[in-house]
Amino acid sequence: MSATAKQAKTSERKYQPIYTSNPLAEHDPLTQERVGQLENYIMKHCLWQFNSRGWDRRKQNAGILGKTAQLLCGEPVDNPTPLEKCYWVDAVCLDRAYRELFPWITTLPADEIKSLMHTLHARMDWLTIDGSLNLELTVQNY
Amino acid sequence: MPHHEFECSKVIPERKEHAVIKGKGEDLTSCLPKGYLNTIPGSISERGCAYCGAKHVIGTPMKDVIHISHGPVGCTYDTWQTKRYISDNDNYQLKYTFATDVKEKHIVFGAEKLLKQNILEAFKAFPKIKRMTIYQTCATALIGDDINAIADEVMAEMPDVDIFVCNSPGFAGPSQSGGHHKINIAWINQKVGTLEPKITSDYVINYVGEYNIQGDQEVMTDYFKRMGIQVLSTFTGNGSYDDLRTMHRAHLNVLECARSAEYICDELRERYGIPRLDIDGFGFKPLADSLRKIGLFFGIEDRAEAIIAEETARWQPELDWYKARLQGKKVCLWPGGSKLWHWAHAIQEEMGVKVVSVYTKFGHQGDMEKGISRCGEGALAIDDPNELEGLEALDMLKPDVIFTGKRPGEMAKKVGVPYLNAHAYHNGPYKGFEGWVRFARDIYNAVYSPIHQLAMVDISKDEIPTDRGFVTRRMLSDKDLPVEITGSTVLSPYTGKFDSVSHLRTKTYPDFPRAGDAEEIIAVVEQGVQA
Ligand code: SF4
Repeated sequence: MSATAKQAKTSERKYQPIYTSNPLAEHDPLTQERVGQLENYIMKHCLWQFNSRGWDRRKQNAGILGKTAQLLCGEPVDNPTPLEKCYWVDAVCLDRAYRELFPWITTLPADEIKSLMHTLHARMDWLTIDGSLNLELTVQNY
Repeated sequence: MPHHEFECSKVIPERKEHAVIKGKGEDLTSCLPKGYLNTIPGSISERGCAYCGAKHVIGTPMKDVIHISHGPVGCTYDTWQTKRYISDNDNYQLKYTFATDVKEKHIVFGAEKLLKQNILEAFKAFPKIKRMTIYQTCATALIGDDINAIADEVMAEMPDVDIFVCNSPGFAGPSQSGGHHKINIAWINQKVGTLEPKITSDYVINYVGEYNIQGDQEVMTDYFKRMGIQVLSTFTGNGSYDDLRTMHRAHLNVLECARSAEYICDELRERYGIPRLDIDGFGFKPLADSLRKIGLFFGIEDRAEAIIAEETARWQPELDWYKARLQGKKVCLWPGGSKLWHWAHAIQEEMGVKVVSVYTKFGHQGDMEKGISRCGEGALAIDDPNELEGLEALDMLKPDVIFTGKRPGEMAKKVGVPYLNAHAYHNGPYKGFEGWVRFARDIYNAVYSPIHQLAMVDISKDEIPTDRGFVTRRMLSDKDLPVEITGSTVLSPYTGKFDSVSHLRTKTYPDFPRAGDAEEIIAVVEQGVQA
């Protein structure tokens, strides 16, 4: 942990849109149903997806859902920094909850899990960032 | 967008965008009220000002500090003692409040001299207290008093004192939330990193956004200490001024109320690389998950699991006693900010009630995102409601109980709706496993109190039945319950003590060996071998 304060680069915090419409809409009903279950768990039980700024949410969603996908596929997860480790903590809880509540996920091959988690990630980005009605998300400072 | 227009607010058309009803299939891209905007003229808002947010909500729970407001005495008086943020030093910060008592003549001639005189007097009156916070108010901000200059002068004259200046006058934001932001940033800019702490554990956290309402912080800190974690500082309930200057040395920021304190967590993450972990201290599952996460971060999950198992075994039967009796009760969840999302899902899952409405007076759209996600279909979400809208909502939703602050709470009582104090609690603490049962007990007592039936009888005209005696809560709550529940030998109402906090202050905790200790032992052994 460094005890010297660093200054933030506000240029990295500019809102960069990714999705212009709901990315889940183009998927088949089964994927929609499955992603819906995974999404509902996050929205009811988690807080990490709601950091106050859009650029921050983008990092949170990518960090936690990326590591959750690795855990669900049984891959090793690397946590080189305390910030990465913090993402991993939320990912472990999500991985455990998904395995317990949605046992179908454990029957899927790794590439299907990856693809499903990719769609979930897109859906979360849409819900909490690109499609969000929250007017404060584009603020660059905390 | 499923906006809801109140009859009483038809004359203020802009209000329509501040209320929504969550319909079937709605999500955050179609259902979110506006929020954290300047109050619409004509709507009698119940918000506090930015000075109140900085001083009353965030600053004053710090326990070993003279908190002085530079302004008219009314600003101070109205932000004194309405929140029960107790402390383990005999509640110094609750007992005493200080104001410079600015009058008209000071507005004309300046109030800096008056401020300095007050600072010196306050330190003289309490010679053991060496720390002070000074809060700007509207009047002194408008006349341009330079509080920082006076504080620097005093610190130069009295080297053993330290003073923090919070420049958040009432007009510095749309609501008290503007003040939360200002004091967060002022604290990290002025004070964090100005003192080095003594580190006593391998696992060091700041507990952030926790205000020790009726002992919440002490309950949570007890769990952390049982896990061998050092709580370097609490921002700010029961927190110490000097501990809060050392926040930069924690390994993890554990964030409870994001609405009031995420700013300092985010800045600590940016500036010092300390991660932010959001937790929920309310509800068995959310709390258990929170302890697990902290355990996982430090590699001591087994210690968290031991606490979860012990506490759940002790308190689950009592929570379930209330859950059986609160099934389907309709709740308006109308607290100030973070509790609308801390509680929305947990009370439905773990107490069986149904949340029919959420509101926030000063929250941002981010709070509503969390709250709306966590409550079910049909819930009415309102931003910055006025009193008439509150009454109209009660009439429309017919809740069994509302959780809110004192002002709207008293108004609800008048129309026969029981209320629980969501800000200062009725018989808290509500955090922790036992606290959650205390909350369920208070809800039960509110919903089934016979007084609500009695109070609605008008003895000047209603017929008073003389063939029936007084009913009790149990007679009301148990009348339709199956015998497996009413006769259960496992379930029980709350059996804890009236005061569930004081004993924690003298408790001793296990000494967990530190990684450094092992290295020291190896070094000593090796030295012995070489000798
Ligand atoms: S709005 Fe201004 S005058 Fe009123 S209480 Fe707040 S600081 Fe004092």
